[in-house]
Amino acid sequence: MKTDHIRNFSIIAHIDHGKSTLADRLLEITGTVSSRDMTEQIMDQMELERERGITIKGKAVKMSYNKQGSRFQLNLIDTPGHVDFGYEVSRALAACEGAILVVDATQGIQAQTLANVYLAMEHDMTIIPVVNKIDLQVAQPARVSLELQQAFGFTDEEIIFVSAKDGSGIEDLLAAIIERIPPPKTEYNELRALVFDSNYDPYKGVVAYVRLFDGHIEKGSQMLMMATGSKADILEVGNFLPRPTQTSVLAAGEVGYIATGLKNVRECRVGDTLTLTNNPSTKPLPGYQPLKPMVFAGLYPSDGDEYLVLRTALEKLQLNDAALVYEPETSAALGFGFRCGFLGLLHMEIVQERLEREYGLNLLITAPSVRYSVTKTDGEEIEVDSPAKLPPTHLITEMKEPILSLNIVVPAKFIGAVMDIVTAKRGEFVRMEYLQNNTLDESVPDSSESRVLLEYRAPLSEILMDFYDQLKSRTHGYASMDYSIFGYKAAPLVKLDILVNNQPVDALSLIVHKEKSLQQGKTLVERLKNLIPRQMFEVPVQAAIGNRVISRETIRALRKNVLAKCYGGDITRKRKLLEKQAEGKKRMKRVGNVEIPQEAFLAILQLDR
Amino acid sequence: MMINPEIQDDSLSIYIHIPFCQTKCPYCDFNTYSGIESLIPDYVKAINSEIHYWGDSLNDLSVRTIFFGGGTPSYLPEGHLESILNQVYKFFQIESAPEITIECNPNDIDTDKLTYLRKTGINRLSFGVQSLDDNLLTILGRRHSSEDALTAFAKAREAGFNNISLDFMYGLPRQTLTQWEDTLNQAIEINPDHLSLYCLTLEPGTPMKKSIDSANIPSPDQDLAADMYTTANKILENTVYDQYEISNWSKPGLNSLHNLTYWRNKQYIGMGPGGHSYVHKTRFNNINSPRQYIKRLNHIDPNKNYNKRLPSQTINTMPTVENIEYIESKLEMSETIMLGLRLSEGISEESFNHRFGLSIHEVFKESIAEAIDLGLMINENGTLKLTDKGNLFSNEVFLKFF
Ligand SMILES: Nc1nc2c(ncn2[C@@H]2O[C@H](COP(=O)(O)OP(=O)(O)OP(=O)(O)O)[C@@H](O)[C@H]2O)c(=O)[nH]1
Ligand code: SF4
Ligand SMILES: [Mg+2]
Repeated sequence: MKTDHIRNFSIIAHIDHGKSTLADRLLEITGTVSSRDMTEQIMDQMELERERGITIKGKAVKMSYNKQGSRFQLNLIDTPGHVDFGYEVSRALAACEGAILVVDATQGIQAQTLANVYLAMEHDMTIIPVVNKIDLQVAQPARVSLELQQAFGFTDEEIIFVSAKDGSGIEDLLAAIIERIPPPKTEYNELRALVFDSNYDPYKGVVAYVRLFDGHIEKGSQMLMMATGSKADILEVGNFLPRPTQTSVLAAGEVGYIATGLKNVRECRVGDTLTLTNNPSTKPLPGYQPLKPMVFAGLYPSDGDEYLVLRTALEKLQLNDAALVYEPETSAALGFGFRCGFLGLLHMEIVQERLEREYGLNLLITAPSVRYSVTKTDGEEIEVDSPAKLPPTHLITEMKEPILSLNIVVPAKFIGAVMDIVTAKRGEFVRMEYLQNNTLDESVPDSSESRVLLEYRAPLSEILMDFYDQLKSRTHGYASMDYSIFGYKAAPLVKLDILVNNQPVDALSLIVHKEKSLQQGKTLVERLKNLIPRQMFEVPVQAAIGNRVISRETIRALRKNVLAKCYGGDITRKRKLLEKQAEGKKRMKRVGNVEIPQEAFLAILQLDR
Repeated sequence: MMINPEIQDDSLSIYIHIPFCQTKCPYCDFNTYSGIESLIPDYVKAINSEIHYWGDSLNDLSVRTIFFGGGTPSYLPEGHLESILNQVYKFFQIESAPEITIECNPNDIDTDKLTYLRKTGINRLSFGVQSLDDNLLTILGRRHSSEDALTAFAKAREAGFNNISLDFMYGLPRQTLTQWEDTLNQAIEINPDHLSLYCLTLEPGTPMKKSIDSANIPSPDQDLAADMYTTANKILENTVYDQYEISNWSKPGLNSLHNLTYWRNKQYIGMGPGGHSYVHKTRFNNINSPRQYIKRLNHIDPNKNYNKRLPSQTINTMPTVENIEYIESKLEMSETIMLGLRLSEGISEESFNHRFGLSIHEVFKESIAEAIDLGLMINENGTLKLTDKGNLFSNEVFLKFF
């Protein structure tokens, strides 16, 4: 197929604005998936994606579409909307010429809409603005359209109105895709394929998801990775329909996959350029910024004997989740485990769930921490991603913490509320911008309804702790936020230790701002008191800074634990009750002789309530 | 060492479930109903079929105890109990002088009824008294007053019953320690032969649980309940009553033989809707619904002889049976311990060895050490027993054996 009959595009949007549902309609109308096989968000096949109703991994699919006698090949990449997976969007964009920007007609522009549009603009992409969910009663398509015009400079005619639910407007969208998105351009004869994602298959090894910019490739060719120098004989090439389907050749402009047979993902890194050994290109494509984890936490098997199982599970999971990093760690309280880096709390939760589900593990995750930069008295600068690794106070000259650039989109009437929360989180105001010029919009009589973009700088560690929940509740769900790392800044930080039954529990330690330490120590101890179940003996819980105990609570001893009468010989029920208790205990970690449940380790996430 | 996992003794206990109550108490989640009295005649027919069925296939076992539980068995109109008992005698092998118990509610018993019960051969009564405080009886939604209970007990004695048990509950909403002591002291005074003291469990879905969840009644304080248990222990320590199980006390020689079957993990057949059974190393139960139970038993041919079948077949082909579970040896060990440790006789190395051909100290070495370390269990000349503290934390001990 000639490249001028190919169109490559991503679908980008704020979370839940309907990207995956729109992809469903495109798949349906192009006959890629028959209506009989259609399910909602058919691309979201991962069990966790289906359960949570969100997209976690970006996904590509190839479609065919006839327009005025010509056949077009459309390659779509659906992207996730959640901020933790923002990197997936930039990867997808680098593989495309165009982007469909979806905006929910009931919500308008949200924080990730802005972030994604700026990303697409950086990539110089053709953007097709689409207002979705116009079937809903409460939809305000005219208003949202105006917002898009004012915020990004789109013209009225450019904006397409659709319902990804009932399919209206989809034909118009397809026409716009063909008319507006430029076909891929090829520059060279030598193969250049950008690896925008990868997966691991036990039989086919590393499977690279690629966009070919130049040349072509087929099964049996010998490939070369330009950055790592790894070579391999290609086992298979194919397209996503949306199932991976073998094909004879992938040509310039196309999106597809290449089964490399490589056993180590590091040999075929995402962002690298793939070329051919016998006719190599010398000009690699611009790659990706390496991913930087934001949040770190210890992962420990509840049953210490499962350490090796966990290690193998992490190795395997990393093949499918390049964003996950880990290294071995030992905790005095929890034994052997791994310090893992995640892109955010959702990512952390998903990794834990996948490990437990796919590998049958019972895991304990410790209090999450950010990565601090610490200058020691000897001048050495070290990175500390775990309170346990913090050098003693007298050896520290300065500590710096990661600062976020935080973008919040909210109706103007909530500006005060947002200011309050951000200030309490040690945030600093940077700027404010109205997304909408009110005088132009008759449908908005009240200026407090028009929406603004608020930009702040705030410490990541504070934003991790239930900031988003507070933001949502104080703005009645209207606020949305997006963030990226801005830099590091010095702050007076101290280490808060927690003692349970007079023993320090390193996995509960945290690094906090000095001025907040008293309050947070007190709240944490109170919360732990309620989260740690009563034991057969009295258990003191204390918070301490250095040797100074700043707060103390006592968990009273449990007085009895008996089952009720065994009636009419129903032994099974009794046994089941016991088994349930035993199951509950399995989810706890014994520290000394106290059983501490998982929730206790995550209590720090809600210290500011 | 000789390994003989097939050891099973040849005794059997019979439980007969009577799923009728005049009204349903708000805390009760037993399989019992009020307002379906019209089913009684068909129910009696059905249970008689079931007795025939099991009697045929289990007639190699000899029956030591029969227990009418419920529900409220004493609520059955005269004649029915007799018909059921006759059927049991007809189809099962009954040992001489079996223990035959019936659960009674103090309000549906009078001298005539008692005389009738006595005539049928029933020789043990278990009264659901629950409390001797009228306010608490009201909270419990009981139909009787404390006076009704005392009168019923006196009449039962007059009618010649010399093995009478009383059930009491503690850990009730609004119950004080003094109220509990008073109830116990009054109970001791009338001199029953057996006492069962149970802590109220708030079962999900019961009206009482709902009232407590919606704060209409205060939630019982579990620490106070622990005090009540300890107090009961103290009060009963200096009496004729011996504690032979975590929640049960009796005069010497008057333990509940029927309940000992459960605790010693021996065989029993539970008939009637929702009845639970354990025979031939298999646990199973009947469906709960009385209507379904009656319907499904219509398919049992009363004239057929069922005794040729293998035990597993009889269980599988019984249309009322569900949740059939074969108990593997390892699980049987755990269950034997969970049940046996409830008894003050404990579990002796010897009996365990006799039953499983293995040493309990080898199989459960760590669990035993842990429980002993925590002061919850002792090893008394080769017999494992719960300590006083262990009685209060029995779950913590049992958990270690699963
Ligand atoms: N009424 C209506 N609902 C829609 C429409 N499009 C999507 N939805 C609903 O909006 C919700 C989110 O849709 P998704 O397609 O999963 O959104 P997404 O943008 O892919 O979400 P993430 O991938 O998690 O960012 C689902 O419940 C859809 O059924 C539409 O046009 N009309
Ligand atoms: S009388 Fe007994 S079985 Fe009947 S409802 Fe009350 S507690 Fe339950
Ligand atoms: Mg999606």
